[in-house]
Amino acid sequence: MSESTTIPPGSDEDVVRHRGWFAALWHSRDGRRGVIIVGVVLVVGLMGLWGLTPYAADAQNPASVLKGISFSHPMGTDQFGRDVFSQAMQGLGVSLEIAFLSVLIAGVIGTIGGIVAGFLGKWTSAMIMRMTDMMFAIPTILFALAIVTALGFGIVDSAIAIGVPWIPIFVRVVRSPVLALRESDFVRAGRVLGFSRLRLLWRHILPNVAGVIAVQTSLTLSWAIVAEAGLSFLGLGPPPPTASLGEMVNNAGSLAGVAWWTLWGPSLVIVIAVIGFNFLGDGLRDTSDPRTRTR
Amino acid sequence: MNVFLSIARRILSILVTLFGASVIVFIILRVLPGNAVSAAMGTSEGLLTRAQIAALDRYYGVGQPAVQQYFSWLHATLTGNLGVSLTYRESVSTLIGSTLPVTLELAFFSMVLGLFIGVGFGMWSALHPGRWQDNLGQAVSVVGLAVPGFILAQVLSVYMADKFHYFPSSLNFVGFFTNPWLNFQQIIFPALVLSLGIGAAILRTTRGAVLEVKSLNFARTALGKGVSRSAYIWRHLFLNSLTAVVTMSGIQLGYLIGGTVFVEQIFVLPGMGRQMITAITDRDYPVLQSVTLVFAAGFVIVNMLVDLTYSLVDPRTRKR
Repeated sequence: MSESTTIPPGSDEDVVRHRGWFAALWHSRDGRRGVIIVGVVLVVGLMGLWGLTPYAADAQNPASVLKGISFSHPMGTDQFGRDVFSQAMQGLGVSLEIAFLSVLIAGVIGTIGGIVAGFLGKWTSAMIMRMTDMMFAIPTILFALAIVTALGFGIVDSAIAIGVPWIPIFVRVVRSPVLALRESDFVRAGRVLGFSRLRLLWRHILPNVAGVIAVQTSLTLSWAIVAEAGLSFLGLGPPPPTASLGEMVNNAGSLAGVAWWTLWGPSLVIVIAVIGFNFLGDGLRDTSDPRTRTR
Repeated sequence: MNVFLSIARRILSILVTLFGASVIVFIILRVLPGNAVSAAMGTSEGLLTRAQIAALDRYYGVGQPAVQQYFSWLHATLTGNLGVSLTYRESVSTLIGSTLPVTLELAFFSMVLGLFIGVGFGMWSALHPGRWQDNLGQAVSVVGLAVPGFILAQVLSVYMADKFHYFPSSLNFVGFFTNPWLNFQQIIFPALVLSLGIGAAILRTTRGAVLEVKSLNFARTALGKGVSRSAYIWRHLFLNSLTAVVTMSGIQLGYLIGGTVFVEQIFVLPGMGRQMITAITDRDYPVLQSVTLVFAAGFVIVNMLVDLTYSLVDPRTRKR
């Protein structure tokens, strides 16, 4: 903290600002790690989603049951002779699909709520904040469980279940900078010039909270992947034959004594994806908020 | 007097929040799924006579307007009637009465362990920034934050059972007062799993807070005037970082409550989290509704208690 406040003008800070956001992200240690890991995760996940896996994800092969790690099966095979790596690829793809969809839901609704709560009058703001308080009262994963019970176990259902509990977080995270921006000189100047509210919000407020939203999006993605795996672990995710990481971890419970790879493979994939999005989020925070850059 | 007023205001806002939460839970679990009776009966609904269905509908208030249903449910809940479990044919309050203590015990142990891990490693890291102790702390926090509790629990339970043939949870769960030692063995492993997750977050916060306090003038002065090392660490650094630690612990409570659902499932603990999953698979809406509300109430109340401890922890917040 203390070092960053004493950075003289014209040093690192200005250089970073003039570089564009991606270069700045690449420049930060966490950011670069995040970009690389998330990049690999996305490519592998998309390949899994499009069926570009070494074996068909649900292809059973009685000749190679519970085979250990080898060149042909980098994560071994399960009790039906299915390739664990191919299954994990497909599971990762489905996970990412649900995670992105849910963050889209939470992000769009939450950002609109946050901007409105920060920019519009006292009454609207109080109403929205009360509602977020009420949603906050239910622990997120329990909230998701309740929704999934009511809606069903499809991909969109899971995405809604995981996204909705995260709306109030976005509202809060977006609202506080908007409150400060509303009173800033350039927004006031815009108001004096007679810009419409919509233009002020779209052109002046939104770009200035984009960094905050990006950070929150990345961190929420990592949570959403865990939540999706958790739901399918409990058997409340998309039903088979769709492969899912959580379900694989669950099934491995009875296998791992004889075939440890069935548990470690999917677990590792989940953990790597989570670490990637966490790093990306930390990197984005470092580059969008100069105060925490030295951490 | 001001203290009472602020406590009263807080309690009022909690009641409003809980009221809202109950509306949300009601909307999700009663309005969205449509007919709770046919959902509960599933395929066997076809076997019932029309009169039987009508009787069930009347009992659950199906066909009444949602608002009326909500208030009759609220009235019943407030007068202590949480309904009857559709699967167990037992009153929901009895069921919760038997599962709540298990979850409370689990949560308590997890929190205590989490605080030990978080504060311990956090202080250790902050006292040796950039050295191996710090790296160890960072490693613990990265692992704790990145490995979801259910994976940790699954790995731990599999290896305990298969490699060491030790799985105290396979015996029937015993209460603390019946057999403290077996009860401890059954609780400690799930608690350890949960504590690593919350401990990691507390670790990060503790480290950051202590590092910040360390850079302040009074801390340097204390060192300069020759305060003993333990007094420097605990009185000057730790006590002044406590506010941040308390805040983080409060935030982690939500994670803890969510985590009990998975960990109780894996370690076969008969707590509220496991009950919730059973209720979901059985579509046992009365149980699900009440369990979710009890979790929410506990969460909100403990958060209020956390707020109240601020004035204990940090004298600066007392004057307001």
